[in-house]
Amino acid sequence: MTVEESENETILDRGVSYEDVRGRLFLAVCVAASFFGIAMLALLLWDVIATTYSAIFEFGVNPRDFLTQTSSRNVEKAGFYSAIVGSLWLMVIVSVIAFFVGVGTAVYLEEYAPDNRWTRLFEANLANLAGVPSVVYGLLVLGVVVNGAGIGPILLAGAVALALLIVPIIIVSSIEALRAVPDSVRQGSAAAGATKWQTIRNVVLPAAMPGIMTGTILALARAIGETAPLIMVGALFITTRTPGPFDRFGAMPTEIYTWAAQPERQFIAMAGFGILVLLVVLFSMQGLAVYVRRRYEVEFGE
Amino acid sequence: MSEKDGNGVSRRSFLAATGAVGVVGITGCLGGDTAITASGSNTVAPITQEAAESYQNTREDAFVDVSPEGTGAGFSDFCQGRSDIQSASRDITNDEIEDCDANGVDYSRYTVGLDGLAVVKNAENDWVDNITLDELRRIWEFESDVDRWSDVRDDWPDEEMSLTARDSASGTFDYFTENVVGERGDIRDDYSATSQTNEIMDAVASETHGFGWGGLGYAEAVIQDGGSLELVPVESDQDGEFYLPTEENVESGLYSPLARPLFFFVNHATLQDSPDLIGSFVRHYINNQDDFADAAGFFAAPDEEQNDNHGRFNEVLQSLGIEDEVSVEAQYY
Repeated sequence: MTVEESENETILDRGVSYEDVRGRLFLAVCVAASFFGIAMLALLLWDVIATTYSAIFEFGVNPRDFLTQTSSRNVEKAGFYSAIVGSLWLMVIVSVIAFFVGVGTAVYLEEYAPDNRWTRLFEANLANLAGVPSVVYGLLVLGVVVNGAGIGPILLAGAVALALLIVPIIIVSSIEALRAVPDSVRQGSAAAGATKWQTIRNVVLPAAMPGIMTGTILALARAIGETAPLIMVGALFITTRTPGPFDRFGAMPTEIYTWAAQPERQFIAMAGFGILVLLVVLFSMQGLAVYVRRRYEVEFGE
Repeated sequence: MSEKDGNGVSRRSFLAATGAVGVVGITGCLGGDTAITASGSNTVAPITQEAAESYQNTREDAFVDVSPEGTGAGFSDFCQGRSDIQSASRDITNDEIEDCDANGVDYSRYTVGLDGLAVVKNAENDWVDNITLDELRRIWEFESDVDRWSDVRDDWPDEEMSLTARDSASGTFDYFTENVVGERGDIRDDYSATSQTNEIMDAVASETHGFGWGGLGYAEAVIQDGGSLELVPVESDQDGEFYLPTEENVESGLYSPLARPLFFFVNHATLQDSPDLIGSFVRHYINNQDDFADAAGFFAAPDEEQNDNHGRFNEVLQSLGIEDEVSVEAQYY
């Protein structure tokens, strides 16, 4: 009896420790996987900050001049201001185009469209569209808008390319936000005598707006860092004057791209400074998205 | 010139942009209306940008927009009549000539400077003192059997080489393969190809067995910065001696075939439309081309090229009948 018991125990022990090792191993792999992303982000930040440090302290780039001067081939006179303004204009126009097209499509698909094969095909294609490489949108706009419609490589054309790029993302996130509004809310509104339009305008859209805004801001944050479509559309070599919507333009990512490819080491250091500015804008937009979601989120509880 | 008013143009382009189909034809040449557009090579773009900024300093109303889409893509714009100035790191090809002819675009060519292609090694590499053109060809040709230094010369070490150079999208790549390997685009497929010349120099500077080639300006920037990089003297096809790409050797033509001329082209139709704006820019560019080339890290073209440029531009202005309308005078040396 005692012999049997002790044998049982050793088998049990061995089993437990074997499973335990596998469990711990699995945990370690998961932790390593999650730390990989954090480590890469930390590495990136460290690299960007170190480059910015060398721009300011080794090459003597004055941060105030950097942020207030337009760019130039002369490294001493070059600044980031015109590129920042270019990017801001792009964001303003992109958000107007992409928000209305994106939310309009989402409202139609979720609230009006009949649930048939065509609608499902349409929605499946939206997901595909979100996966199209950004450079393709640049080529499309180059062919159709810049050369086809003949408006030339102006900032507005760049904004159209970026808007096309993020419209599918906004549609998908807006559809999710609209779906999160319970049907009981719509039925309540209808029962109170509201028309479909009144229901959407006064009940559904306000309830879904935090989700839609969050999705839109995150999509804009993606658009602001895009380089390839702008280069395809015809961004400038160096943005020597501050662009308006109908001028030839450069933006933050294209200016960084140009500087990083120059032989002068100071330009390369300044490209690092430019990346830091771009990252600050990016993180602020992400932060704004989180704030909007937290602040305006509506709970449909019991 | 008063119709070059910013507001009027903005309104027109706004209409076009919002889809007023009727004005599409008028706005087709919008870019040329507001400013001088310079398309073309990203190698030559810094020189043209120097010229553009210098010109903008002399004339408050003038803007020159330089876009660096590359020589080939630039020519396709230029031959559609969509740009006024085209920078090029190589001559126009037969296909491009046909394209320009088909669209009725007349143009003329000007030589603005010389680019030295540097062959580079790591500074710790003490065995490579020079290299012949035949050795370069053997290293870089398609299906090259050179993997180790000893494959190039018997007394070089039996260590693997680490090769880095430009990718096939660049005019520099076209030039090197055509003039060293023998046929454009013919190159081994197992080197590290990059679109950024900076990366070539950094790779060779960080690897004892690194070897590569690229624009001289990039190599010199790394060397000045204290990078572990050295230039390799290359055999000249002029006299068989070995030369470094110094100012003297490049401008005298001894550093050949690895020095190439850089050009810009002028569209005659838009020049005739805005003779003072564009003509004065071209004149300003030619007058100061040595300074602009130098400021952008390139070498000056020989003096006779500069005089030829002025002579050629005079002929163009005369044939268009606008020689009195260009306000900047030619400076002869």
